[in-house]
Amino acid sequence: MGGFGMARRSAWRFTAIFAVLAILLSACASNTPGGTGATSAPAGAKAAYGGSVTFAMNSDITNMDPMLSGLFVDRHLMYAMYDSLVRVTPKGEIIPWLATKWTVSPDGKTYTFTLRTDVKYHDGSAFDAASAKWNLDRYRSTKGSARVGELAPIDTVTAVDAATLKVDLKTPFAPFLSVLIDRSGMMLSQKTVEAGGADFTRKAFNAGSGPFILTEAVKDDHYTFKKNPSWWGTAANGDKLPYLDQVIIKPITDGDVRLTNVRTGQVQATNAVTGKDVPTVKGDSTLVYQEIAGIGNNSLYPNEAAGFIFSDHRLVKAVSMAIDRNELLNKGPAQGVGSVAFGPIAPSHFAFDPNFKPYAAPDIAGAKKLVADVGKGPLKFELLVSSGDAATLQFAQLMQSQLAKADITMDIKTLLFNEIVLQQNDHKHLGMTLIGWSGRVDPDGNVYDFVYTGRPNNAASYSNKSVDALLDDSRTATDQAKRKDDFQKAQQTFVVDDPAMIWYSYNAAQLLTAKNVQGFNVFPDQLPRFETVWLQK
Amino acid sequence: MTRYILRRLLLMIPVAFLVTIGIFVIIRIAPGDPVLTYAGENPDPVTIAAVRADLGLDRPLPVQYAAWLSRAVQGDLGRSFQTHQRVTEAIIERLPVTFELGVAAILISVTLALLIGTISAIKRNSAVDLVTTSVTLAGVSFPNFYLGLLLILLFAYVVPGHIFPPGGFTPFATDPGDNLRRLVLPAITVATASLAVNLRQVRSSLLDVFGQDYMRTARAKGLHERAVIVRHALKNALIPVVTIIGIQIGAIIEGAIITETIFFIPGIGRLAVQAIPSQDYPVVQGVVLVSALSFMLSTLAVDVLYAFLDPRISFGSAEA
Repeated sequence: MGGFGMARRSAWRFTAIFAVLAILLSACASNTPGGTGATSAPAGAKAAYGGSVTFAMNSDITNMDPMLSGLFVDRHLMYAMYDSLVRVTPKGEIIPWLATKWTVSPDGKTYTFTLRTDVKYHDGSAFDAASAKWNLDRYRSTKGSARVGELAPIDTVTAVDAATLKVDLKTPFAPFLSVLIDRSGMMLSQKTVEAGGADFTRKAFNAGSGPFILTEAVKDDHYTFKKNPSWWGTAANGDKLPYLDQVIIKPITDGDVRLTNVRTGQVQATNAVTGKDVPTVKGDSTLVYQEIAGIGNNSLYPNEAAGFIFSDHRLVKAVSMAIDRNELLNKGPAQGVGSVAFGPIAPSHFAFDPNFKPYAAPDIAGAKKLVADVGKGPLKFELLVSSGDAATLQFAQLMQSQLAKADITMDIKTLLFNEIVLQQNDHKHLGMTLIGWSGRVDPDGNVYDFVYTGRPNNAASYSNKSVDALLDDSRTATDQAKRKDDFQKAQQTFVVDDPAMIWYSYNAAQLLTAKNVQGFNVFPDQLPRFETVWLQK
Repeated sequence: MTRYILRRLLLMIPVAFLVTIGIFVIIRIAPGDPVLTYAGENPDPVTIAAVRADLGLDRPLPVQYAAWLSRAVQGDLGRSFQTHQRVTEAIIERLPVTFELGVAAILISVTLALLIGTISAIKRNSAVDLVTTSVTLAGVSFPNFYLGLLLILLFAYVVPGHIFPPGGFTPFATDPGDNLRRLVLPAITVATASLAVNLRQVRSSLLDVFGQDYMRTARAKGLHERAVIVRHALKNALIPVVTIIGIQIGAIIEGAIITETIFFIPGIGRLAVQAIPSQDYPVVQGVVLVSALSFMLSTLAVDVLYAFLDPRISFGSAEA
């Protein structure tokens, strides 16, 4: 045994193992600054300073640079270490942050921001209009930036003086402010970013101006943040924020292990609780579980390209009529976590219509009739689902059984996630794909790129001129009521009259905390904000 | 001996070369396009093309391989598509963690195998033999991820006092006590898979040795039974066991892939788990190369160890 022969055989065995794996795996919030008081604090309780909270997220981050970040999970850290020009309340209202106020020109093309003058980055350099201009220009013009699309409406950015930033747009773009809430509006120190070079993506120490300073980053293990004692924010009661001395964020991928860590006190908070565990945590008197409707949604993307079965949108409608959304939500893996959806506009969006319930109950007879009217014989198609996730497969099987009642045959095909995206972009698959969207604060971010003719995320190849016209109008209209009307009319068309896709559920925004953790609010975007969190002694 | 080691080290080069070609090709056969993962959320064709060029994936495969290999031989395994971290740096950061887990797992596995295997051999075909071998066989049949979860739940909810935390890692230099506490459950999880193999090897080697003439001689000299077993039987029976342990370095790395994910330990296994589904080619290639080299070096170490354990084995004479 041993020796060269064994080494060679085993080395190849390794290669094979990895190869097999490779193929298989392929505001104001009650107490946000300037807010109106703490929600989760007991009545009359005074917030205490000090202490440390450990928070568990469900996977590790890949990138700390807002410019390059492409994953939702990356933003968990960013909200602690970076400030944005504006932020959002749990109700979806945009509030001042680094920009204290702003004006929009009558033609909707020029935004003039007044910036805070008391802000320093963690590296000691000052935040001002020149820094804001550098950040926006970096995001929109750097090769490989993931923010280019979001900031494409910008024509020029001008630092008028230290506290005034002017942004001229090419055309009016009503959702522009909402773009500046998140990564595209996050402000970083030029000095630290440039000094970081290629390593900045995972060693973004001292780059932000946020309430916490990143002090340690051990990939796949933990990220430690210390309090920024000179942060500018204050609570509604005048308390200087943040309260905590330290925040630790840990990635724990397994749901059972994550929950066990919360229940044994190793971790004090998480925003990812699996559906089956929700009854358990609700019944645990040592924990507090909060859940609100999120802005993300789950949907089926049909391939409507010419020559494929769903190019006749009536068949998309037949599937939409045949599925039982309530059963999918309550009996599927979600186990009731989230809410039933009929379109992409979420409950926290200003354009949400609570009375829009076109497929409230399955209509089996209607679906059968529609398939018969199309006259192409029984409907049969493939559903592509990501491999390696038993819950997704279970969900697909439940849907398969629902469709069978309407004589619709859905074959389930499991593929690597990347391949599904590839087939979706190529518009060559034989049916539908099952992919979710984390959601955006403005409904435009949930709608436009998915149904507007020719947009990159329009994986269905959907095209409807009246929808395009309404969505164009929603971008140029400055009146919110007009925008709301545009979105609701467009939604009636792309969900009911000429269906583009099939939306079936909204994500839930969850937050599970130990009972002594106070001031921790749940936001529809599911991301934690630590500046208002404190520990009850 | 030196010539033998040098020859073996030189022979590793073509093996490593074949391994790199194998993984380079196979990871690219996997369906999907990594560019779509790294081109942002709403990539247009121009961005996709720019990212593809930036990652060097627009060049022909042989050119990509040659470029990677020429850097790799200089110790530069490229940068992760996903995190932009140098792959060499990522591996160096994580290797000690997986190494510690592996050493702890081998220690547990070998200690238990020697103890139980010796008892089983002495009490051959007794109830003790039957029970111990059955239990360890059941242990090896448990999937790693399931055993890990069971151990976590057991020590979180059943055993009082939270003696062993449910996962996580603390560097030894930071807090030796916490480091060891957090190491116990994952090390048992990894060790269980190899325990049954080691145990059976110890048992059968001992049974083989028990029948040798020198054992009868030792007993005839009037030596105490314990001395006969420890000094004469175990010493000779251990040689094949060392071979098995060497080979199990591979099983340890395989086990670490799942175990490090369950216990959220920042080792090589977890690095691979995150890199493979996102088709982070440089990381996957680097991890496979380092794993293969580790394996080859460990088998060489075992072969060299033979010479010290058994004077009958000599590497020099055949070449003389």
